[in-house]
Amino acid sequence: MTTPLLQVRGLRTRFGDTTAVDGVDLTVRRGTIVGVVGESGSGKSVTARSIMRLLRTPGRVAGGEVSLDGQDLLALPDKQMRSMRGGRVAMVFQDPQSALNPVKTIGDQIVEALTTHGAAKSQARKRAAELLDRVGIPDGKNRLGDYPHQFSGGMRQRVVIAIALANDPDLLIADEPTTALDVTIQAQILRLLARMRDELGIAIVVITHDMGVVAELCDEVVVMYAGRVAEHGTVEQVLGRPRHPYTANLLQAMPRLDTAPAARLAAIPGAPPDPANLPAGCAFAPRCTRAGQTCHEQQPALAEQDGRDVACWHPVAGALGSIVDKCVAPERKAVGESILSVDGLKVNVGSRRAPVYAVDGVSLRVAAGETLGLVGESGCGKSTLAKAIVGLTPIIAGTVGVDGKAVDPARGGVRGAVQYVFQDPYASLNPRRTIGQSMAEALHAGATPDEQIRERAAQLLTTVGLSAAHLDRYPHAFSGGQRQRIGIARALATNPRLLLCDEPVSALDVSVQAQVINLLADLRDELGLGYLFIAHDLAVVRHLADRVAVMYLGRIVETGPADQVYANPLHPYTAALLSSSPEPAPGVRRERIVIAGDLPSPLNPPSGCRFRTRCPIGPLRRPDRQICIDVDPALGNGAHTAACHFPGELA
Amino acid sequence: MTATTAPAAVAKARPRNRYIAALRTPRGITGVALVGVLCLLALLAPVLAPGGYDAQGADALRPGSWPALFGTDELGRDVLARSLYGLRTDLGLVGLAVPVSAVIGTLLGLAGFLSKALGTFLQRCLDVILGFPSLILGISVALVLGAGWWALFVAIVVYGLPAFGRLARASLLGQAQREYVHAAQVMGVPRATIMVRHILPHALDPVIVQIAVGMVGGIFLESSLSIVGLGIQPPAPSLGALLNTGMRYMTAQHMYVLGPALLLLLLALGLVLISDALNEAVQR
Repeated sequence: MTTPLLQVRGLRTRFGDTTAVDGVDLTVRRGTIVGVVGESGSGKSVTARSIMRLLRTPGRVAGGEVSLDGQDLLALPDKQMRSMRGGRVAMVFQDPQSALNPVKTIGDQIVEALTTHGAAKSQARKRAAELLDRVGIPDGKNRLGDYPHQFSGGMRQRVVIAIALANDPDLLIADEPTTALDVTIQAQILRLLARMRDELGIAIVVITHDMGVVAELCDEVVVMYAGRVAEHGTVEQVLGRPRHPYTANLLQAMPRLDTAPAARLAAIPGAPPDPANLPAGCAFAPRCTRAGQTCHEQQPALAEQDGRDVACWHPVAGALGSIVDKCVAPERKAVGESILSVDGLKVNVGSRRAPVYAVDGVSLRVAAGETLGLVGESGCGKSTLAKAIVGLTPIIAGTVGVDGKAVDPARGGVRGAVQYVFQDPYASLNPRRTIGQSMAEALHAGATPDEQIRERAAQLLTTVGLSAAHLDRYPHAFSGGQRQRIGIARALATNPRLLLCDEPVSALDVSVQAQVINLLADLRDELGLGYLFIAHDLAVVRHLADRVAVMYLGRIVETGPADQVYANPLHPYTAALLSSSPEPAPGVRRERIVIAGDLPSPLNPPSGCRFRTRCPIGPLRRPDRQICIDVDPALGNGAHTAACHFPGELA
Repeated sequence: MTATTAPAAVAKARPRNRYIAALRTPRGITGVALVGVLCLLALLAPVLAPGGYDAQGADALRPGSWPALFGTDELGRDVLARSLYGLRTDLGLVGLAVPVSAVIGTLLGLAGFLSKALGTFLQRCLDVILGFPSLILGISVALVLGAGWWALFVAIVVYGLPAFGRLARASLLGQAQREYVHAAQVMGVPRATIMVRHILPHALDPVIVQIAVGMVGGIFLESSLSIVGLGIQPPAPSLGALLNTGMRYMTAQHMYVLGPALLLLLLALGLVLISDALNEAVQR
């Protein structure tokens, strides 16, 4: 094989006294995509920044070597390194919103990238237009004069990639390039990156936390944990037959679309370690079921095994499985009476004169002990719907009922029965109040007598797997997963019968996500709680939900029992969503339905069927289907029904 | 990147007395020392200048010399003594007026949480105040109330309102969208309680910084009003009034104007250093 393009050996990066990256090796060959996967704090982004020499103080590379085509990047003078960046090595960042300058046209920004590296001005604009065409922005020449805000999120990320490609780099480093994007858009960008590899032969390093993205896109994968490489090999090897217990456990802890949901996920206990406070031996040892004496005392070195490199004293031998005992689920309570009913709900998030209906006629029911999963991409109105139900956003039409009686959400009508679990565990607790104070506020609001508050708060914390000793601590002392547990405990303080969970696990690391999902499932089954579970992650919803409702542009487009909807989607949007969700299974490259374009603005929704502007079976592809433009399809009355004129055609 | 730094940054404990910690920085210490010494001088004015501010000496417009560092004024009164008494007036004035302004301004700014329409209306009112140049504002107040201490007090209070009101509103708008405020709302905690418990503590940070800045502004407003003769009325001294009269004798007795100006400068410097140090602590 030819010499690798990028060779990183023993890279060590320190932030003050904290070693964020500790002896990382990375080899990237031309024309391949290498995934660097890990949870927050694993050092994956720091590795990328160290390679690019973009570390911010106090970060500095303390050891190791980085060579690109035999040239030592760490020893290069600043000036040459600058021309290297954006020249031979380019970088794509996570958030296309902040990666582009909002006051300059995208044409100027691409031209800037070109002329900085010596291109002639006269040629630059022509080349910029070519680049836009290359990354799939139609009519590139005429869009050079547009500003970033005139592009959607996915299109902006394409522009960022175009800028990165401007000087024909040999290596592209993409740091979470699709994390800020919806699944249907993510599928488009992943395709684009794979095409760039095939057409231009460039090497790409993709930093991600998502095993699905790795399986979908990468040739090789480096699994990082606590600043070190845990496992390295081809995607088939690592994801198919993981040898490191961390990789294996992580894959098991993820809810999957391609396997039947088990009652509980095989969650990894504990949380990823704080880089400032690593254990002496293997960093994963405290959470590992296979850990022995050696693991706690000595760091394992990367060693070849079974065709790939593993850093473990007791690597997994057999097939995947049998590492963690499947948790036993308690008996589920029968689904009871309907608690929450929503009929024809409309929410205006615009002004009175220029109304914008983020939720436009939504009806749903949730019963005790039942989970209704509400799925949709960002901007479809799912969070607005939840906020309207609890009265945080005023409704302009429709009714909200509790136990069959209509109530006024704005006057706290649902308060006694319904509580809310928020998305961001960092923002949902007041940083200046102790956990006890936050709990007391909730209990007080729930009319718990003052003298019982502390006792009850301690009880609730125990219910969610924390202890009374945590009451006097401030939120900053807790990890994301623990904070989400506290958020759940607080929601339970008023003895609700139904929880509105608004993306409760999307801000959590994969290994912690499973714990919270299991906790929610346990609470549902033990207390007979009903859930309206909002998420964009189809696999998570599939794991928890009994019924599913799919939302698109303010409407529910499909609803039905979870197994039916996932096995046999009726609406083309549901089918596209399902096929766009990347699965952490290598080799299973299903025939993808990649839907074109972006979510239209709710300010001016398309006539007829709202999905027709992107629909793969609609008038876009089948001009004879005038009905989609003229008639707004309605949901049927059956248990599994879709608002589509041609349901089930695309499955 | 954020993923790596966030836990470390979050884990760093917020000291409960970070204001005190801020004042222990070199900048904070210098500021506190300056303001402290000036306060002490002002408090001790009757001891340091037992003759009071009105005692007339032998000759007028004598240049500065030991111990009458600032010399004498046109009536033969000791300018240093008058400056110390003037400092006393100024410190008392802004020390009372600015906190009053801060309390009223903060409440006006936070009122928007109770009623959206009221909040918007109050902000527009503050904008109107902001539209007046400070001098014009002061003159209008003095014309209504009559020149003197009270006019200055009211002018400084009113002059400070927009800054406090806007800062409080900015915090309010930022906090009102926080999930923990939503959480409290969903649980049915009364709005007024949410405001006091969750929003006010966060609004206090910038307000406290602004108090130090506002004091500087208040002193300058006092001086400019005194310069046009609408401030503290003679024979009572204030730093502004001293500058006003001293300016006329600048060539004959330059310490007459430079002395009070120096005190004013040091006081402003001290306050700015304090606000700077506090600001840094708040931003952390």
